[in-house]
Amino acid sequence: MTQPVTIIMIEDDEGHARLIERNIRRSGVNNEIVSFQNGTDAMKHLFGADGSGLVQKGNALLILLDLNLPDMTGIDILKQIKENKYLKASPVVVLTTTDDSQEIKRCYELGCNVYITKPVNYENFANAIRQLGLFFSVIQVPPAAP
Amino acid sequence: MTAEAQRRRAFWQILLIAAGLLILTVISAGSVYLVNKAREDGKWVVHTIEVENQINALLLEVRRAESSARGFLLTRGPDFQSDHEKAVAAIVPALDKLTRQIGDNQAQRESIEKLSAAIETRLDQFSREMTFVKQGQLDRATELVREAARSNSTTTITNQANAMIREEERLFQIRSANSDRSQTLAASMTGIGSGLVVVLALISTWLVRRSARARDEAEARLRDANVNLESVVDERTADLREANDEIQRFAYIVSHDLRSPLVNIMGFTSELEELSGDIFRRIGSLAQVSAEGAPLAPAGPGEIVLEGADKQLSEDFSEALGFIKTSIAKMDRLISAILNLTREGRREFQPVKVDTGELIEAVVSTLAHQAAEAQAEIRLEPLPHIVSDRLALEQIFSNLIDNAIKYLKSGVPGEIRIRGRTKLGYAIFEISDNGRGIDPKDHQRIFDLFRRAGTQDKPGQGIGLAHVRALVRRLGGTMSVSSELNAGSTFTITLPIAWNESNRNAER
Repeated sequence: MTQPVTIIMIEDDEGHARLIERNIRRSGVNNEIVSFQNGTDAMKHLFGADGSGLVQKGNALLILLDLNLPDMTGIDILKQIKENKYLKASPVVVLTTTDDSQEIKRCYELGCNVYITKPVNYENFANAIRQLGLFFSVIQVPPAAP
Repeated sequence: MTAEAQRRRAFWQILLIAAGLLILTVISAGSVYLVNKAREDGKWVVHTIEVENQINALLLEVRRAESSARGFLLTRGPDFQSDHEKAVAAIVPALDKLTRQIGDNQAQRESIEKLSAAIETRLDQFSREMTFVKQGQLDRATELVREAARSNSTTTITNQANAMIREEERLFQIRSANSDRSQTLAASMTGIGSGLVVVLALISTWLVRRSARARDEAEARLRDANVNLESVVDERTADLREANDEIQRFAYIVSHDLRSPLVNIMGFTSELEELSGDIFRRIGSLAQVSAEGAPLAPAGPGEIVLEGADKQLSEDFSEALGFIKTSIAKMDRLISAILNLTREGRREFQPVKVDTGELIEAVVSTLAHQAAEAQAEIRLEPLPHIVSDRLALEQIFSNLIDNAIKYLKSGVPGEIRIRGRTKLGYAIFEISDNGRGIDPKDHQRIFDLFRRAGTQDKPGQGIGLAHVRALVRRLGGTMSVSSELNAGSTFTITLPIAWNESNRNAER
């Protein structure tokens, strides 16, 4: 990556988080990964104490989002990110176990950039994450400020 | 109202009507009898009056004869004579008539005998008197008159006649009393009878009204019960639907949440596998090092060969990991199957007109590759058009035809036949094959989720038929199988020709 892009990972399952991180690293991506295990902490980090998102102004972010969180649904977070003027340009990758077509459609409608279903088969899983890592290494992420 | 009470009421009503008829008959008969009796009594009263009149008339004639005889004696006028003769001539017929009239009465007959004897005596006196007067022997005539007056013959006649009149008056009293009684009796009988009939009619009316009211109440209760029943059915249906939705949501959530830990188990098992590779390579290199006595340059990967106990350990390790991975894969397939089923269960069906022949042809063409591999020939006969959910029908037939291809006898060319007909608003489809067949004891089992039958040499989760049966039921149909081991199977599906929303609601 040409810019210091920070990867924000919102994933409640520690195991999943660890597996994702490992596989991203294996694909050669060395960007900082900040992980959150619940929606509240992630929202605080993304939008700041005042909830305006101003804290992220100028930062290049890539958000990895799980839909099933203990305190809120990932869809709410996605919606708020895409409605925030500082964050809406940041790519959001939904990475979740849900493979319901309605859910997938809804996420894309709300502005999610990539939707990936976590395969149970680990080879597939690892493969998917590594490809995502490769994808991360080539995409251009705009800074959060307009 | 119980049946017993109804029978009793009907019995009472019949009894009342019978009683009413009986009373009417008795009143009619009694009235006829009493009216006749009253008429009879009246006749007797009239008769008595006639007899009295006759007696009076007789007495009058006797007195007329007497007075005209006296007048003739005094004046010797021919007027008196003719008058007397007329009176005397009237006396005998009047007496005869009276005798005839009172022929029924013993006492009066005796009286009239005395009376007629007295009258005869008097008539004899009259004729002698008149003869003397005509012969001019006036003194003898006068003597005769005196003698007659002395012998009181006229008084005897009068007394006798009066006695008879008194007798008749007594009779008159009795008879008119009788007549009065008969009339009163007739009147009161009619009155009482009418009263009774009216009372019976009132009771009957009351009974009829009571039973009508009972019927109305029963009807109202029935209506209420019906309305209640409907609302109860609606309530239960709503409850069931809610419970069903709840189960579907539950299945969906559970299977989802089960998947999450499964990703970890699978992931870290795979990581372990990699680690084990590293570990055993290391053990191998260490073993080599200790065997060769001198440390070598970093061992090249791949060429390390484990020996003896180490090799055994490595193989055990791999075997354990292999079992874990197969089990996880299986569990994942089951969870996916449940997810798919719940997803199907939540899908809304759309009734559309479907040419099942065309639809099954399309299904067959997607399975053509498998069919060719299994050397199977699929034959379609003309099939009916029905109104149903297209996607559900596709899934039903594709599952069944896929099964038929999958479970053919190896080495025998397959023959799959699809037939259809309609009967009483239902379309009946038969998918038959000459495959390996199903043992009759497994006929129920094959429709259960995750259950399979026969030789387990084909991949599958035991979901297809369970899914098909659920779909057929939701489409308001039924499904059955007839099959023998090694003798092929026939799956029969019965679906309504025109399926609609209300069927769906009823089935859900």
